Amino acid sequence: MEVARQNGVFIPSLCDHPRLAPFSGCRLCIVEVKGRRGYPPSCGTYIQEGMEIHTDTPKLRKLRKAILELILTEHPNACLICSEKESCDEFKSTIRKTGEVTGCVLCFNNNDCELQDVSKVLKVEKVHFPSVYRNLDIKKEDPFFDRNYNLCILCGRCVRICHEVRGASTLSFVYRGSQTVIGTVLDKPLTEAGCQFCGACVDVCPTGALAERAIKYESLPGEKTKTICPLCSIGCEIELIFREGKILSSRPSNTGAVNKGQACVKGRFVIGDIVHAQQRILLPLIRKGKKLEEASWEEALNYIVQSLKKFKRKDIILVASPQATCEDSYVFQRFAHEVLNVKNISSTASLSPLAAYQVLAVENGLKPLLNFKIEDLSKATTLFLMGTDIPVSHPIIWLEVLKAVNNGARLVVVSPVNFSINRYASLWLQAKPGTEYLLFGFLSRIILEREQTQNLSRIEGFSAFRKSLEGLNLSQSVELTGVEESLLKKASETLLKGEPAVFLFGTELTQSGSRNKNMAALWNLALQTRSQLFPLVLENNVRGYLKIGQHFQKGKIRDFNQSLQELSESKKKALYLSGPIHYPAKTQAEFLIVQDSFMNETANRADVVLPTPTFAETEGTFINVEGRVQKTRKIIEPLEESRPEWWIFSALARKMDYKGLDFKKPSEIIKEIRKTIPGFEKTWYSSLQRGKEIFIQEGRKGREKFVPLKFSPMAVETSKKYPFLLRVVYSLDYYKNLVLSQEIKGLRRIRNSRWIKICLEDAEKLKLKEGNSIVLESFSGEIKGVVKISDSLPKGMAEAQLLWNEESLFSASHLVFPFSKKRHSLSLVPVKIKRGSS
Amino acid sequence: MEEIDFTKLEEIRTEIEKARKEQKTCVTVCGGTGCHAYGCLKVAQAFKDEIKKQYLQDQVDVRTTGCHGFCERGPIVVIQPYGIFYQRVHLEDIHEIISSTIIENKIVNRLLYVDPRTNKSIIKEKEVPFYKKQRRIIFENNGFIDPTDIRDYIALDGYKAITKALFEMTSEEVIAEIKASGLRGRGGAGFSTGIKWEICRQAKSDTKYIICNADEGDPGAYMDRSLLEGNPHSVIEGMIIGAYAIGAAEGYIYVRMEYPLAVRNVTIALSQARKLSLLGQSILGSEFHFDIHVFRGAGAFVSGEETSLMASIEGRRAFPRQRPPFPAQEGLWGKPTNINNVETWANVPQIINRGADWYSQIGTRKSKGTKIFSLVGKINNTGLVEVPMGMALKEIIYDIGGGIKNNKKFKAVQTGGPSGGCIPAEMLDLPIDFDTLTKAGSMMGSGGMIVMDEDTCMVDVARYFLNFTQEESCGKCVPCRIGTRQLVEILTRITRGQGEETDLKRLEDLATTVKMGSLCGLGQTAPNPVLTTLRYFRKECEAHIQKKSCPALVCKELICYYIDPEKCVGCLLCLKNCPVEAISGERKKVHVIDQELCIKCSVCFSVCPPKVSAVFKYTGMKKKRIMDLASKKKN
Repeated sequence: MEVARQNGVFIPSLCDHPRLAPFSGCRLCIVEVKGRRGYPPSCGTYIQEGMEIHTDTPKLRKLRKAILELILTEHPNACLICSEKESCDEFKSTIRKTGEVTGCVLCFNNNDCELQDVSKVLKVEKVHFPSVYRNLDIKKEDPFFDRNYNLCILCGRCVRICHEVRGASTLSFVYRGSQTVIGTVLDKPLTEAGCQFCGACVDVCPTGALAERAIKYESLPGEKTKTICPLCSIGCEIELIFREGKILSSRPSNTGAVNKGQACVKGRFVIGDIVHAQQRILLPLIRKGKKLEEASWEEALNYIVQSLKKFKRKDIILVASPQATCEDSYVFQRFAHEVLNVKNISSTASLSPLAAYQVLAVENGLKPLLNFKIEDLSKATTLFLMGTDIPVSHPIIWLEVLKAVNNGARLVVVSPVNFSINRYASLWLQAKPGTEYLLFGFLSRIILEREQTQNLSRIEGFSAFRKSLEGLNLSQSVELTGVEESLLKKASETLLKGEPAVFLFGTELTQSGSRNKNMAALWNLALQTRSQLFPLVLENNVRGYLKIGQHFQKGKIRDFNQSLQELSESKKKALYLSGPIHYPAKTQAEFLIVQDSFMNETANRADVVLPTPTFAETEGTFINVEGRVQKTRKIIEPLEESRPEWWIFSALARKMDYKGLDFKKPSEIIKEIRKTIPGFEKTWYSSLQRGKEIFIQEGRKGREKFVPLKFSPMAVETSKKYPFLLRVVYSLDYYKNLVLSQEIKGLRRIRNSRWIKICLEDAEKLKLKEGNSIVLESFSGEIKGVVKISDSLPKGMAEAQLLWNEESLFSASHLVFPFSKKRHSLSLVPVKIKRGSS
Repeated sequence: MEEIDFTKLEEIRTEIEKARKEQKTCVTVCGGTGCHAYGCLKVAQAFKDEIKKQYLQDQVDVRTTGCHGFCERGPIVVIQPYGIFYQRVHLEDIHEIISSTIIENKIVNRLLYVDPRTNKSIIKEKEVPFYKKQRRIIFENNGFIDPTDIRDYIALDGYKAITKALFEMTSEEVIAEIKASGLRGRGGAGFSTGIKWEICRQAKSDTKYIICNADEGDPGAYMDRSLLEGNPHSVIEGMIIGAYAIGAAEGYIYVRMEYPLAVRNVTIALSQARKLSLLGQSILGSEFHFDIHVFRGAGAFVSGEETSLMASIEGRRAFPRQRPPFPAQEGLWGKPTNINNVETWANVPQIINRGADWYSQIGTRKSKGTKIFSLVGKINNTGLVEVPMGMALKEIIYDIGGGIKNNKKFKAVQTGGPSGGCIPAEMLDLPIDFDTLTKAGSMMGSGGMIVMDEDTCMVDVARYFLNFTQEESCGKCVPCRIGTRQLVEILTRITRGQGEETDLKRLEDLATTVKMGSLCGLGQTAPNPVLTTLRYFRKECEAHIQKKSCPALVCKELICYYIDPEKCVGCLLCLKNCPVEAISGERKKVHVIDQELCIKCSVCFSVCPPKVSAVFKYTGMKKKRIMDLASKKKN
């Protein structure tokens, strides 16, 4: 089949799919092979030298037609074989506002349907058998899409993509014989059956059985344009479907270099709702007394210029966003450094694992290589995955990891929590949170004892490294890290076997109190085993922001906590927020500027609000987790008065009489970046638009060196007062000021930002049920939340998401900040759980 | 654990034989599933109790053995070593058997089998016509062995073949021997076992598997079950030899959950074999390691298909997949795998022990050895029969099977399970082997034989079997899932008298589509019952469609019940038994059926005393006349 496709020979098929293993179920792709009995399906028949294959003979045509007729007996076929079909197609538009589909004119998939295409090719004019309407209930209980199995032809693509490609295995064939149907375990709703709502099943469905609700009742979509999804660091290529300037939905693009036709719930179902969200800010707003009133850009900009004049340089704080484009970030930095001459710039990007890695590199003079290709991960033989629930945080990377596992790679997961992917792991090291560096140390020690050290001993710092490991006594591993010695030995064997391993580490590893120690120990272990080490950053442009930021700050990365400290210390400050930050309700900056696309609690308290467009209304570049430069397109004009950030900064600079910061379009900015910032030399819009792969340039790999560290145990301890250990997960379910997992109804149902997860046993002990309101109290504050039972958490642990823009009543940032080194880390907080007032 | 090598095994064997030489009288009670249903366990226990009561423990043994095959007549008791055959033994007979047969050497005549043709009582098992014409190689020891005691098997030369194979033959020689024997797979397709092994042997891989397919799902077939229950060691020995020949270190027995006794006996047998170093590391002191797991299937019919069986072991849904690659190239967990049926494995030790020459003398030119058939349906002697290949159908049905029940006429025999075909009376002389059956449009299958008499409607039979395959289709490929469903629809329509002229053509076309288009053996053979019915019983089909009549008087919608006024004596029997009160009449007056109320449950037909026989079934024109008459009367 593949060979036929490559050579332009058409063979009809309904169950085969380029991303899936052959299924041979629809039997339409049958061919005749000389010398072979019967009619083998081309999808499952591998080509051999000297094979003589006939793909189109009268016999085959007859058989295919008969088989297609059989398929059509179980699929509403009246429209397909109607004699009025031609004139109907021409004069009647599809009637879609109906629940049940009994013919193509009622089907949302009309004209975009593989079954229709195949019927046309095979010229089916009559179905010689009585139709069977299966009369199954249409499943509408889940978010985002409906499942109408009366239209299903059981090609099994959804089941297979869910299992083979996504590794979720939510869908399955149920029952047998003519009763066979696609379903979930015990026919539960998808929300309870482990579905991540990636939408892959919807995209591969050849019929209208799986119908995306967002476009189900709309008439035909007008246009499609490709762009990059800005909702995580992968940067999937997606197709936005829009009509008359309104974005309806999005689909992963099959030509996407990174995602290859796959997406996640955000890129597939959420993104369409962002641009036209109710919370959009469309006009500049200025505070007049208690109210924010609409104003013109002229007024707003003048007001800002006048007000900022009242503040000293050191009293102005600027906050940048790792979601902004490289162009916006560059102009932001120039504006801050040159126009305002302010050094006090902070961003949540400095909390990222990349920042932690960079800090280690800067302090020790290392030059780690950061660029990699996600698709190469599938070739790895050993993978260590730590500090992130990867199918949620980096779904596309997970797909390649899964491929590797299916190819026989060994997967080792380091996490206190039993993630859903642990079932694919050959080892799960359940280290106590915050003690990961000890675990790495133990591994280093075991390996050091086994391996020849000759090559290593030449590396700088080796003897100190060896010495530092001497204090680690293997028999203490359970006591210190909670991991059995035998498991550690297995893990080290895994590391020694085969090709060098790939270490992927996420936020949780670099946000515990032992952030620096974790980084150092991991670096040493990777160096020792020649493994590759890649940080999995969260936001779409963390790499771009840090690269540009470091350039302006002479290689340094500003400590996030320091900015917070400064922010909370004095009230007499001006705060310019163009990105997210923990902004406690108590804090009252004297002058607050919020520059965003969406209103939220903080924006409501601002003195000036400046409207910016979303990703679909402006163009620019992102640098994704791989180091790949990606370009977004301007698909629609900025809504109403919203203006790109670079435009705002340029306009402000003009108002402040600063010359030389006056950009007219993004291509001018990238031109300047190309010239001034090393690494960006190759970023030409024209090449990007042609689909050329461009990576940010890296210097050569620097010298190798073991980093000294002390293995003194430090763990976050619970106490009688605060008996639970709260795991704060830095969530990516936000876009600018919009909390997606709160404001998008569907996403709220699958990962509500206000859920506080605890295990069933703890819930029973506390007499709590799912959905109960609770209050979490830590030494620094308290937040509200809703109980969610989770079977992946161990006893005594709770989990909450941290979203920068969540309402302060619910935001887990209150439990973490203000940060004090003595008390706790950035992702682990001892808390008390109290029952909330309903 | 004690180290046991092959010399030690021989020592054990001599020891057992010596101990048994004394020729104790042994009461063997058949412990097969059929006899289980008749209460054989209670019978066996009662024997033990009675023997204890009479203080005969030292002279008489009681043994619960494997299936004797003559399940129709259970519970079966054979007094060894005399071979006295008692059938339908009940608890109240036991005292008599002990006191007369065992103590006084007298025969209990009423428990003997009576040949219905000669009316003579037969004393010895081997002389019963059911057994006389059989050639029992695989089943030979079933009646002597307690399946839960490995010593019984060893005493009868068990595990001799494995010693021979391991220490006197190379793997290649074993394969050559099997090839020379001409053994063909007993699972249905009849592929040469030797060649299959050879392909798997030649496949390059560090790991290989062998599987015993005991997922017997054909309605009416139970020979694999009987073998596993009655003589599990013969299967295990066959598997060890096969593993040695192929180079596999791990084997599976895939047996369905519905066979609890088979699961139990096999599990016991495996643990006993392990204890004697017949399984595990260094078998009998050789350098060959091999072990077997029992995998219990959930009972889907399609799991018997080899690729779906492997999917099932791997923990996936039992979907078949496209071949090639064949299991011998890419099988279980992607490794080369050899999969054979229970009966095939049981043949192996026999071939090794007695040689390929001996084996290949049995059977026909292309089908060697014996085959076990399960003879069921409208036949006098229901049970499992083992006959040499090539025996005429007639011999099996009349000589062994004892002919048709109630002296009815033979109409057809359905061989090879639900996807086999129906062979008509004209072909009774057909010698049965793989190729003749295939030529006749049926197949050997696993060896089911369902005998049908003149009261069977062939359209209805075809519908029944199609309905079975329709329900058991895995649902993966279109022709099988939807095609069989549509076939059932059409057949159902015909049996209801709603058939159209074009239906036969449509059936033929659709059956061909399903046969040619389906993925696995299930779909490719599912239309066989339809195709053979159309081939051999076309007139009957046409009668259903054109005359709306069912010649066999089976299809409810096409018949009516009628009380002959001249014969009816007015006994009220039918009237009282009619569940819908459709019969009216008074004592000593003629009863009449209200045709509108009648649901054709056939109760009146069966309760009418044979002397009277006033209730008749009519179809076609006669039915129409009766119906017309009835409606006229009403008006």
